[in-house]
Amino acid sequence: MAISTKNLYKKYGSRFVLENLFLNVEKGSIYGFLGRNGAGKTTTIKLLSGLSTPTQGQIFVDGMDLSSESGKVKQILGLVPQDSGFYDERTALSHMVYYGRLKGLSKKESLEQSRVLLDQVGLGNEMFKKVGYFSHGMKTRLGIAQALLNNPEVLILDEPTNGLDPVGIRQIRQILRECNNNGITIFLSSHNLLEIQEICTYVGILDKGKLIAESTIEKIRHLESNGVITVGVYNLSSEMVSLIESLKFVVKTELKAEHILEIFVNSRTDVKPEINRLIVENGGQVFKLIENSLSLEDAFFDVTRIKL
Amino acid sequence: MNFSEIHIIGEDETFRGSKSKYVWLFGGIFIFLCFLAMHYSTSYISFLFSNSGGIPYTLISYLVVLSIGPFMVMITSFDIVSSETETGSLRYIISKAHRSSFVLGKFSFLFLVFTSMSFGVALISLIYQYSTSNTFQFEKIVLFLISSSLYLGCFISIFLFISILSANNKISFAMSAVFLGILIFFFLQGDESYLKYFTPYYYGIKNIEFMKSFPVEAGYLKIFESLCSMLLYMLVFLFMSLAAINRRDL
Repeated sequence: MAISTKNLYKKYGSRFVLENLFLNVEKGSIYGFLGRNGAGKTTTIKLLSGLSTPTQGQIFVDGMDLSSESGKVKQILGLVPQDSGFYDERTALSHMVYYGRLKGLSKKESLEQSRVLLDQVGLGNEMFKKVGYFSHGMKTRLGIAQALLNNPEVLILDEPTNGLDPVGIRQIRQILRECNNNGITIFLSSHNLLEIQEICTYVGILDKGKLIAESTIEKIRHLESNGVITVGVYNLSSEMVSLIESLKFVVKTELKAEHILEIFVNSRTDVKPEINRLIVENGGQVFKLIENSLSLEDAFFDVTRIKL
Repeated sequence: MNFSEIHIIGEDETFRGSKSKYVWLFGGIFIFLCFLAMHYSTSYISFLFSNSGGIPYTLISYLVVLSIGPFMVMITSFDIVSSETETGSLRYIISKAHRSSFVLGKFSFLFLVFTSMSFGVALISLIYQYSTSNTFQFEKIVLFLISSSLYLGCFISIFLFISILSANNKISFAMSAVFLGILIFFFLQGDESYLKYFTPYYYGIKNIEFMKSFPVEAGYLKIFESLCSMLLYMLVFLFMSLAAINRRDL
């Protein structure tokens, strides 16, 4: 495992913001960490990167215990923290050289790597520009570049696409894919479900400090139900809804309008004919019957039981 | 703690750091103030010392350090860590280096600036001494250099500690000003009060006696004891700073 946590707790005052967190991030994966605001994503990232210490529990990065081998862990870890600033009056290159030396590189090595990495993130022509003049997107790219110094094995990013325009988001996505292709494990937190669905292979969903789901994107999408069937029915009665809910492959139903019912199903076979027959046999007139595959967004709302 | 990291952080702060220019500027202003004090003492108060072998330039410089030094240190040190906490730039460093290296790197930068400043003042007083009485009093100069460095070091470690505890610069400045006020209040309680031991002023002022007539009757041991007290005071706050940064959530 690139990252794993055991029985991790974090308490602020008397309130637990993380409870019994068991996280498993496979080597070479892109792990998306989802959760609402205040779910504990940033706290988890701070714990994983050593910016904060856990109240209880253990963190392992590449098999090394963070509490006893923090120095070694820092050498193989790259962090892009959320909303963190650079020194406005210094150039991008000056930042990179400084951080490179802190990561154990010599001045010369640091300078060479900095130039390559700034080129890689598209800041090659801006390396002598003061960071104070950088846009938000450029600062994010500089943040990624500094995290890639000294070839880390694990890259942790806290909502890197926050506040970026579509072009910026696509650039960051491209950079992260390249990093992953080079063998770097990526742990990424985000609000943006589409973003996670687009690039991640694994997903963990955090809710109120608890990890409520952790699996591949595909499995998460089908965790509760693997599809939604929208039925339009005249003469829809509550008895009919109860009968539909009693079917063994139906997870739940939601009444969307007077005649529109959404049925969440968990089945690998086509269950539309069976639903249709049940409705017709009970006096209903079906005028619409469509099946949609669940998106990660649907799955997220499903798993976290958030009602809008 | 890692000496290589301390060296990198200290070096970067000294030559390229965001505060570097203005801390060096304040150091320069301080030297200039000491120079003015020495210059005007030659013009206006030389008659006071006509029977005691000339103007004690090192003592005058030391008095300037004792009185203005803490304020100068406060202005330059109160935001040494809090500014990085406020902007979040601290996270980039802490994700790569040990927390203790960060604190010691910052401390060594400030200590270097104020030691250089003390050295500059010592050099000027040496020149004044030689130009007025054709003598070099190296012992006094060395005592001045060590005393003023340690005395200012005590204040650097105090304000560093406060800066680590503060979430932003405003809080840090307010806390530093209040703490300095408390130290002055403790000192003003007089010789009978045990509160004087909690202030660097007490240890700093003790050295005035040694600087007036060197070598002192009590001998070098007394001087050594006094300097060690200041060193200990500085180390206590430095250890408290290290403990504070290691416990902080960033």
